[in-house]
Amino acid sequence: MSVHDFWTPFSLIPFINALFIGISLASIWLLAALGLTIIYGTMGVINMAHGEFIMLGAYSTYVFQSILGLPFLLCLPLSFFVVAAIGLLVERSIIRPLYARPLDTLLATWGLSLILIQSVRLIFGGEPQYVAVPEWLNFVVQTSFLNLSGLRIFIIVMAVALCGLTWFLMYRTSYGVKVRAVMQDKEMAQSFGVNSSRIYSLTFAYGAGLAGVAGGLFGAVKTLFPDMGSGYIVEAFLVVVVGGVQLAGSVLSAGLLGELNSVFSYFTNDTFARFVLFTLVVIFLRFRPQGLLSEGATRR
Amino acid sequence: MSTAADKVAATGNGTTSLYHNKAAQWLLYLAVFAVLALMPLLVENAFTLNQLARYTCFAILAMSVSLVWGYGGILSLGQGIAFGLAAYGMGMTMQMQYQHPEYDPIPSFMLTNELESLPLMWAPFWSTTTGLILTLSVPTVFFAVFGAMMFQARVAGVFVAIMTLAMLAAWYSMAYDMQPFTAGFNGISPPLPFSIGGFELDPYGAPAYLVCVGFLAVLTCLAKLLMQSRFGVIVQAIRDDAERARFLGYNVASYQIALFAISGFIAACAGLCWVMIVQYVSPTSLELTLSIAMVIWAAVGGRLSLLGAIMGAFLVNGMQSYLGDELQQLWMLFLGAIFIGVVLLLPRGLAGLMELILDRLAGLRGRSQDQASGQKEAAE
Repeated sequence: MSVHDFWTPFSLIPFINALFIGISLASIWLLAALGLTIIYGTMGVINMAHGEFIMLGAYSTYVFQSILGLPFLLCLPLSFFVVAAIGLLVERSIIRPLYARPLDTLLATWGLSLILIQSVRLIFGGEPQYVAVPEWLNFVVQTSFLNLSGLRIFIIVMAVALCGLTWFLMYRTSYGVKVRAVMQDKEMAQSFGVNSSRIYSLTFAYGAGLAGVAGGLFGAVKTLFPDMGSGYIVEAFLVVVVGGVQLAGSVLSAGLLGELNSVFSYFTNDTFARFVLFTLVVIFLRFRPQGLLSEGATRR
Repeated sequence: MSTAADKVAATGNGTTSLYHNKAAQWLLYLAVFAVLALMPLLVENAFTLNQLARYTCFAILAMSVSLVWGYGGILSLGQGIAFGLAAYGMGMTMQMQYQHPEYDPIPSFMLTNELESLPLMWAPFWSTTTGLILTLSVPTVFFAVFGAMMFQARVAGVFVAIMTLAMLAAWYSMAYDMQPFTAGFNGISPPLPFSIGGFELDPYGAPAYLVCVGFLAVLTCLAKLLMQSRFGVIVQAIRDDAERARFLGYNVASYQIALFAISGFIAACAGLCWVMIVQYVSPTSLELTLSIAMVIWAAVGGRLSLLGAIMGAFLVNGMQSYLGDELQQLWMLFLGAIFIGVVLLLPRGLAGLMELILDRLAGLRGRSQDQASGQKEAAE
């Protein structure tokens, strides 16, 4: 193995294509991290089962599409509600007693993820399942510098749309005002009549629902396995933490990490790019634990 | 607030319950290690003995988690880094014991990856002594440097968990990617058992098992002594309130770095023993699943007690094997449920339960006081 095999020399057209792949990758990481940002940002809960929520979203899309024969566009909102309902149940039973112990939520939700993986394996079996890509997404945009499938473009559009929806919910509705009030000072918000435990339940359910939609979309890109969620959890956490646990920060960090990963993998290869990226993130967190956007040194 | 200080004060006098009695503690530790050391006399089956040796390696890992998390309050999801690095070091040492400088100078997997000569990284492993020194020192030094990076920046709590997680993921992809050096996904399987000083340690024999138990016993006793020393008291004080320890004039970061490096060394010893026992190393030793499993073992057994963590490792792994292949499907469900149950109901694990029972028997604590301290613990 010579240096030349390892290091791809620069040439403009493939490099621009790599940048577009970076946007596509960023949109996937952003979708995976969006629900996590909401849950971690609002409640400080480290939800290790988030990847499994994504997996549940993928499987429920599969059930709605293949067994009930519903169109793909209808499956996505249905998956949202299925996973949100599961999230609500989880919050009520497991998360609620642990709000004062953030490290313990990490452990308990890891236990939950084992249960979810194994339950799905018992129900659907270990063999791979598929979510069919709808006809109208079967196109490829191909120019000299760009090569993106319709599905990838749809995922980018969905990432933008869900971010917009979340922004609207958090900054333009009375529910959002309450969420932000509870985030800033739970006791004070409560004394002004905000039912914080209800806000927590709803927010956890919403975050889980977002993971459900993400799962439906990922299911169309990749095959479905019961343990597919573990492939997203590390990247999702890094996006959230690098972004400083807020919506705009997550968008920025997903974009940045996606592009960096894609540029590194253009020059070297996929796994080595991952190594460089993770190491860079660790070094970055050493100097800015508060993330890209947050001011000051408040740490959760 | 100062639960650790209370406990340290309590161990000094004889009026507390058996759980806090220092002499009784040492007696129990020695009894457990004696039983483990006598196992080869009871167990005829070589397979079972090998299985026990594997659990012993896991117990060393759980103990290192108890040290860093239970005593230091640092939840590290990266203990697998030290384990994995040491496992690769040991794998390389054992592989080079098989190679011959003249007739067969490079491992076969390198030939299939088109390497013509032995890479520089592998050259020191010709010597078993150098190999062993590197196996243990590289992970320890890495943990010291990584710890210095984190703790001097006053990174704490959840951020440590996420940074160690990212670092682990980085090493995992590295081991995967450097195929010509690490054999990638396939891993290195040294053809011969580890031999030292002309004596071959058969993975299925009693000597290899006793080496593992020896590591466990010596490391645990040293760790326990350390935690009873001044260093241990300060480390626990930092866990309970880092800010207060800082105001009292202690250099918090250097204590945390030292503790982190020590736990890395212990995990590295486990990696060394592991490869000696299984004669195989692959990127799975750097998987997130393993690193979280160590935390599970320590949590179930009781992270505030070294022996508790050790028993947790034996118990969880023993049950997993005992339940057998038919119940393997349900095992994961069961393990997940146990884990949620322990976190919710028994935050201090089985050792905590033991403490509660012994304290009650000694009539030291009333019911109300119990609940008060339970809540205090929950609030931490």
